[in-house]
Amino acid sequence: MFWLHNELMTLMMSPDKTISAFPDGENFFKWIGTITGPKDTVYESLKFKLSFQFPNSYPYTAPTVKFITPCFHPNVDTSGNICLDILKDKWSALYDVRTILLSIQVLLADPNIDSPLNALAAAKWQKQEEYKKYVIDTYKEA
Amino acid sequence: MDFKEGWSLIKRVFPILDETYNLCQLEEKTFLKQEFCDAVEFIKKINLAVHIQNLIVSKIEQRLRDEVAPEFWSYFKNNEHENKGFKQFYNAVKSLYDSYRQLEHTMRKLEMFRQATDIEEQVYNEKNVYDALKLILKATLLSQLNLDYQLVVMNFYEAALKTDDVDENNEGQCIICSQESLHCNCMHLFQETNRKLGEMTLLEPLVGQTLTSLIYGYIHSHIQKICKDCFDSSFVAVLEKWLQDIVLNWLRNIYCYDNSTSIEESMGTFEKKLINFLYNSYTKIRIDQLFNIIIEYPESLSALEDLRLCLPRTDLKSMLTKKLQNAMETRLLHPGVSTPDVLTAYVAAIRSLRVLDPTGLLLETVTQPVHQYLRSREDTVRCVVTSLTEEGPNDLAEELVRGEAVQVDENTPLDEDTEDWESWVPDPIDTTPSKYSSRRTSDIISMLVNVYGSKELFVNEYRTLLANRLLTQCLCDTEKEIRYLELLKLRFGDSQLHYCEVMLKDIADSKRINQHIKQDPEYTEDEIPLSAMIVSAQFWPAFKEEKLELHAKVQSQISKYVTAFETLKGSRTLCWKNHLGFVDVEVELADRTLNLSVSTVHASIIMHFQDKSSWELEELSKVMMCPPTVLRRKIGFWQCHGIIVETIQDVFCVQEDLENKDSNIQEDIFVEDYETESAMASAQDQREEELQTFWSYIVGMLMNLDTLPLERIHQMLKMFAFQGPTIECNIQELKVFLDRKVREHHLIYSNGYYKLPK
Repeated sequence: MFWLHNELMTLMMSPDKTISAFPDGENFFKWIGTITGPKDTVYESLKFKLSFQFPNSYPYTAPTVKFITPCFHPNVDTSGNICLDILKDKWSALYDVRTILLSIQVLLADPNIDSPLNALAAAKWQKQEEYKKYVIDTYKEA
Repeated sequence: MDFKEGWSLIKRVFPILDETYNLCQLEEKTFLKQEFCDAVEFIKKINLAVHIQNLIVSKIEQRLRDEVAPEFWSYFKNNEHENKGFKQFYNAVKSLYDSYRQLEHTMRKLEMFRQATDIEEQVYNEKNVYDALKLILKATLLSQLNLDYQLVVMNFYEAALKTDDVDENNEGQCIICSQESLHCNCMHLFQETNRKLGEMTLLEPLVGQTLTSLIYGYIHSHIQKICKDCFDSSFVAVLEKWLQDIVLNWLRNIYCYDNSTSIEESMGTFEKKLINFLYNSYTKIRIDQLFNIIIEYPESLSALEDLRLCLPRTDLKSMLTKKLQNAMETRLLHPGVSTPDVLTAYVAAIRSLRVLDPTGLLLETVTQPVHQYLRSREDTVRCVVTSLTEEGPNDLAEELVRGEAVQVDENTPLDEDTEDWESWVPDPIDTTPSKYSSRRTSDIISMLVNVYGSKELFVNEYRTLLANRLLTQCLCDTEKEIRYLELLKLRFGDSQLHYCEVMLKDIADSKRINQHIKQDPEYTEDEIPLSAMIVSAQFWPAFKEEKLELHAKVQSQISKYVTAFETLKGSRTLCWKNHLGFVDVEVELADRTLNLSVSTVHASIIMHFQDKSSWELEELSKVMMCPPTVLRRKIGFWQCHGIIVETIQDVFCVQEDLENKDSNIQEDIFVEDYETESAMASAQDQREEELQTFWSYIVGMLMNLDTLPLERIHQMLKMFAFQGPTIECNIQELKVFLDRKVREHHLIYSNGYYKLPK
């Protein structure tokens, strides 16, 4: 609880307006996060919602993070699961909600094509024009 | 003896039976023993004794009805001025008494007649014929009662009372007849009248009620006379003595003539009645003055003691509560009264009502509106804190010294109930039960703190005040402040005042560090001696931010100081607040020298003018990093001292020579009173900052949760944001804040939900 409180405070005070997160209702272990697509990418100015589920052992165990808004991306599957190393084996207690959000923001701009969850997206990544159409279509489904 | 002869004989014996008989003429001589016996003989013979008696009684009644009563009442008409009333009543009673004596004489003969003829039948069931006569007289008089008679009776007794009253005796002259008191017969006439009335047993029926109301009025005006605007002595004993000595004695002199009841009995009832009235009137007068009495506390302590004595003897407690509340509202709780005055009155009220009612219930009821009102005033806390720590005679400071921990209502109830249950007394029935009734505090500071229900507010305000004082006074005389702090700690607890302790310690430390640095051989002061006040940002309240670039010379001295400090303190450095502080300057001009203690801004300005005697406002503003409008105001200070003049629009020059003193000093320039300006961010600014913190939380939650109603926002803020030293924000305040954001287009409000604009 103490950690999460402090993290919330840091987040609220940070001047970065492209990432944000807040507890969802009374449960302090469930958060909703928002990231804005990075500039000069196909995701620019799109807003993506994510869900955070913190385990009791947080920050020694990574939280479960998923996309709520459908996201067309090589490392995001159709149910919103994310393939990101720091959320899995590379997790460290030094990471926090802010760094997770920033990492995902970077992931949007710079996908890991080699281990795709979404093969179609990985295939289309090279053709940015076409890829963007898929992104917009998926995004509109919401 | 025939009937005709017999009838005339009877008429001679009882002249009242004769139609031509006049009450005023004396009949003493015509009464002969022989005639009486003959008449009795004759009546006995014809066996008409009872009838004769009835006839006589009815004749007496007729006389009274037709002659005596109308004559008596005729004296009461046309009364114009008071002193005539005295004579009027005297004459009326005199004539009535004469007639009465005549009739009494007839009665005496009737009694003899009754004995001679052995009549057993009683007249009107009275014991004897004299009582019967009195009864008839009373009945007849009252049946023809004159409406004005009370006025006349009143005049009569009032005049007598005034003559008796020593105070009103004007230069040895009788008020009634305007003669020298020595030759005046009025008192004899007065007593004679009373004696006559008493003899006819008319005293109580005829004048009793009027007399009572006269005495009531007299008592009332007497109390008003001696108690008016005089709260510093006790009157209960004095008044009671006065009542005994003057009023009751006077009444005794009247009622000693009353034959109908014993003097002890009538005086006893009178005394009870009058004492009760005395207390009632006195209490009422004091209640009317209560507000003034409270204001003049403690000089008015005796008046309060009096009131406390009187209250249980009267039934006026609810009236007191109501009147005092009214007085408070009309005289205290309006915008025309300054907050310190309201507080002074409030403190006086607490103290004086404590005297009146030690249980504190009355106090609670009466001061409730004051509480509410004080809560609505913005500067209450500041006023309280200021007066708490002010020097000189001051109620609150005294209270503080008395020392006692502040009890805030939210604490758990004390277990006093179990401790002295034997002396427990239930609340008086005339108070409404309240939730606080179990535990009342009469400590003034506690009550003031309870107005807000939080110690933090007071402590924060004190912190700002202390910071301001330390910064602006620059005295570094912390001894007094430490004393107050210790006193406050007793009240508010150590933890609350920890910040203030650090602040005072900072001052002491600064002094030491300054000394240390000045002894440092590496550190040199060539032109500008510099002392720093080093404060810990974390513990001091926020400063008012102002940008200011100091003069290069000062700046270089400062960097020297910083270097010295850094060597002294290792890994620490200093962050300067250029706009705070004081400079002692000596301004040397061609014809004069000025010594002044000014703020850093003023000093910087004059230093720049030392380098260059003429500056354009715009140019100087750039050098000093100070907005032109502010700068112009600050330059005004020097203009006022006649050192700088504005030669052309926006160009300022040094005025070396003061040729013509009168015309050159620009008196009308606005002089900023820099000493009163606070160095601290105002409470409002601080609040604004807190709200700004909440705002980032609100943006955060709305960005992620899209739309939320007011209650949810408040609830979530309470859960996630209200932490640490920040003061809570109630839902109303939050609503006002959010509505403001809606007006500024930072928020959208629809269907009871708030959301961020796209």
